Amino acid sequence: MSDLYLIYKNLIRKPLRFFLTLFAIFVAFLIYGALTAFDTAFHAGVELSADDRLITVNKINFTQPLPISYVRKVEAVDGIAAVVHMNWFGGYYQDPKTQIQTFAVDQTKLLSVYGDDIIIEPAEHAAWLQNRQGLVAGRAVAEAHGWKVGDRIPLSSNIFSQKDGRTSWDFDIVSIYTGSSAQIDTNGIYIRYDYFNETNSFGGDYIGWMGIRTKNPSLNEKVIKDIDDMFVNSPYETETVPEKAFVKGFLSQLGNISLMITSVVFAAFFIILVVVGFSMVLAVKERTSEIGVMKTLGFRSGRLFRMVLGESFMLVFVGGTLGLWAATGFLGLLNNVPQFPVPDIILTQAIILESIGIMALLGLITGIIPAAYALRLNIITALSRR
Amino acid sequence: MINSFSQIWIVIQMNIRSLPQRFWMSFAAVLAVSVVVAVLLSFLAMSNGFKKTLEGAGSEEVAIVTRSGSKSELNSVLSRDIVNIITTAPGIAQNTAGQPVYSPELYVVVDGIKKSSNTKANLPMRGISAAGFDLRDHVDIVAGRMFETGTNQIIAGEAVQREFSGFELGKTVRFGKTEWTVVGIFSTGGSAFESELWAEARTLQSQFRRGTSFQTVRIRLAEPGDTDGLLAMEKNDPRLSLDIQTEAEFFKEQGEAIGGMVYLGWGLSIIMGLGALAGALNTMYTSVSSREQEIATLRAIGFSNVSAFFGTLSESLVLSLMGGIFGAVIAYIFMDGLSSSTMGAGFTQVVFTFKLSPELFRQAVFLALAIGLVGGIFPAWRAARLPVVLAFRGGV
Amino acid sequence: MSNILYDLRKISKSFIKGKEKITVFDGLDMSIKKGDFLAIMGPSGSGKTTLLNLLGGVDQPTGGEVWFDEARVDTLSESELARWRANNIGFIFQFYNLMPMLNAARNVELPLLLTSLSKKQRKKSVETALELVDLADRAKHMPSEMSGGQQQRVAIARAIVSDPKLMLCDEPTGDLDRKTADEILEMLQLLNRKFGKTIVMVTHDPEAAKYAKRTLHLDKGVFIEKELVA
Repeated sequence: MSDLYLIYKNLIRKPLRFFLTLFAIFVAFLIYGALTAFDTAFHAGVELSADDRLITVNKINFTQPLPISYVRKVEAVDGIAAVVHMNWFGGYYQDPKTQIQTFAVDQTKLLSVYGDDIIIEPAEHAAWLQNRQGLVAGRAVAEAHGWKVGDRIPLSSNIFSQKDGRTSWDFDIVSIYTGSSAQIDTNGIYIRYDYFNETNSFGGDYIGWMGIRTKNPSLNEKVIKDIDDMFVNSPYETETVPEKAFVKGFLSQLGNISLMITSVVFAAFFIILVVVGFSMVLAVKERTSEIGVMKTLGFRSGRLFRMVLGESFMLVFVGGTLGLWAATGFLGLLNNVPQFPVPDIILTQAIILESIGIMALLGLITGIIPAAYALRLNIITALSRR
Repeated sequence: MINSFSQIWIVIQMNIRSLPQRFWMSFAAVLAVSVVVAVLLSFLAMSNGFKKTLEGAGSEEVAIVTRSGSKSELNSVLSRDIVNIITTAPGIAQNTAGQPVYSPELYVVVDGIKKSSNTKANLPMRGISAAGFDLRDHVDIVAGRMFETGTNQIIAGEAVQREFSGFELGKTVRFGKTEWTVVGIFSTGGSAFESELWAEARTLQSQFRRGTSFQTVRIRLAEPGDTDGLLAMEKNDPRLSLDIQTEAEFFKEQGEAIGGMVYLGWGLSIIMGLGALAGALNTMYTSVSSREQEIATLRAIGFSNVSAFFGTLSESLVLSLMGGIFGAVIAYIFMDGLSSSTMGAGFTQVVFTFKLSPELFRQAVFLALAIGLVGGIFPAWRAARLPVVLAFRGGV
Repeated sequence: MSNILYDLRKISKSFIKGKEKITVFDGLDMSIKKGDFLAIMGPSGSGKTTLLNLLGGVDQPTGGEVWFDEARVDTLSESELARWRANNIGFIFQFYNLMPMLNAARNVELPLLLTSLSKKQRKKSVETALELVDLADRAKHMPSEMSGGQQQRVAIARAIVSDPKLMLCDEPTGDLDRKTADEILEMLQLLNRKFGKTIVMVTHDPEAAKYAKRTLHLDKGVFIEKELVA
């Protein structure tokens, strides 16, 4: 027998109460784990964006077009390693309600700029260069629709139509691309701009935006200035920003998701603070005479203080660990949902470390009052209170 | 012999009167329930406010025509020719001069600076004509004046004023190379149109190099809700490939964009409710064990175990109801009327306010009482089965 | 080496209760020999419990000196006193005061957590103590599964397991029937006679006091019919 055993025995002496408080903690950490992981995945784009990548958009708004002639001019700017232009295709497959992020791009430059993130087999990439109707689909979207390399699929646009009036294009799937890490989103599709531009009924020779890779992040500032200065006072003024800033700005348009998540998590922790805190006080008060007896036997106050505190720590850590474990399982299920709109949601090491910190804090706050009660308890009053 | 109802009533009163003796544990249960209710109401108020804002924009008397499959105004493109053809369809309301009433509109996206985050966000800028005003109910210029034709003047919605900076009356804003002056502020009674900037359609066409094309055309229907004439024409004319809906339907669909928030809100608050339930059960079991002797004594002098059961159950229900009301009040004070904005289905910002309603309060109280019921029923069962002999065991 | 275990010299003790000052002892002298079995009797409010608290080192006198085994105790700090209690005193209470979540063996083991004994040594001491109180077969039983007499025997085992110099018993039979009470008292007597344990027992029960070697009567803070300290 050791102090740990005594702590454990005290904790489970009222199994129902133990189970209920443990459950409250479990729930709070389940919510914390799942929501924080979601928030992290949601903002993964910001973390994953490369420092040497920029985005050039129309200054009015990124939905406004730019002339294709700009690409040549930008490529000539000093310090730029590669430029790929992109158009939003507004693609969907069969169901107009389910949008697929479809980009019409310069197939020769896509990997020069985004090759660190997306992986296309060299042989398949070569096939794409050969096939104007070639399409590269992300692993997630391909799995969702059961597409394989070699399939020929119709893809519709909710913006564009072909010159003959049809709103659907036929494509050959030449490759399924994967992400270089689990957090890279593979819900997208890339098609060739030349094919799109030639068959599209209007807006010809315009691009949506340009993705740029600089030779060195330290050149970013100069490159940004050079590009935007070049087009100032033209009918299409540009705005060039680091990729990180662009992604961040885009996400903030959805509203303050992080604030929402933080509030919910805070509320959940507040509940367990109240529920666990008060039942710990109650549990220790009920044990007043036992604590008195232990003090009489010669247990020192400091030791009893640590034992009570240990009890709340044990409770919070057991419940918290179970909650995080359940969150992992829950996220695993979620990641298997086909075409879930965010990349893989995982409990990162940072989240786990943070939760350990929160557990310690909760253990301390819920345990400190009853522990202080045990510390200060006078033997004579304790024993006369039976 | 007192009848069972008055027995129950007496025990309920005793339970509730002794609540202050167990103040802290009871307080914990109330607090936990109120947090759950406040969280639920926040989500419901958000989703409800968003829905109301978009639904408020839609009218049964107006049809909206977009390019087939485009799903949003932004994606749609209609040439002048298409507009001219579809507006000859039967079933369109006519003005006093016998002309069909319709408004071809342009819809482009510009950047605005969101006050809350100080970041750029997509603002819709609508090209509109006088007919467009006639088509919308409750449009009012609340400050300044209407834009003049042929000038770079805009009027900005009230919600734009609230959430974005730089569109105050008299300010000049730059979109690319062109400058625009804000000459008026308009209100549409809280609907989604208030999140927009309006300018004259023809000016917008030329400044944004759109030639003579439009994005949508709004048509006043001769009979509210009756789009059959338009649909028939679309079907029979091979040149037309259009989606035709009443405006009410169109915005109702968009209003469901964050409908998932309702499920998320319920999901989260039910899970959190389980946490609060743990607190409620804890409290009620403690209550029963602290009153063991009192309960047993009542039973010894002839009270039924039914009264012991309902006494405990009602204590739990009262506590959870208190928590529910407290949480609802908190939500009402902090959430109702809170202004926020998010990316709507049109790929542009929709400014909306959180809106609570009696129906939402009913749902919240329902959740609170459900927690109280489950949290009370098991301890009440224990109270009902306490052995009467406990009454004769003096202390210990 | 002196054969005096406990020596109380001119002890005074008073409390402040509300606005009133209550004096329990005012210059009480008392000494206890090693190997004694002393019963202290007296009406409620006579100071029995306070005396027991002072002897047990859970309370401190307001004046006078307390010597135990030739060392002064009344000047010790609270945590020094705790250690002193663990080393020197075994307690037996009226309501047994066993830990309800621990089985008999672990209850007995509890005071040994305050020693540096190894796990193995602790196990052996617990076994010995339980055998002594004739409960070796109940080692794994929880207090709630035992009768009052059995529980009090576990409490006795707990009191003797660390081999203290003094055992203090507070109404040890107050919650037991006559027959069981006699068994417990015989056990205390055995511990005193056979193992030389010094025992001080506070009791209301004259029958219980008969088991002691001598009895002191306390009234209003003084011993009446003082018996000779041999």
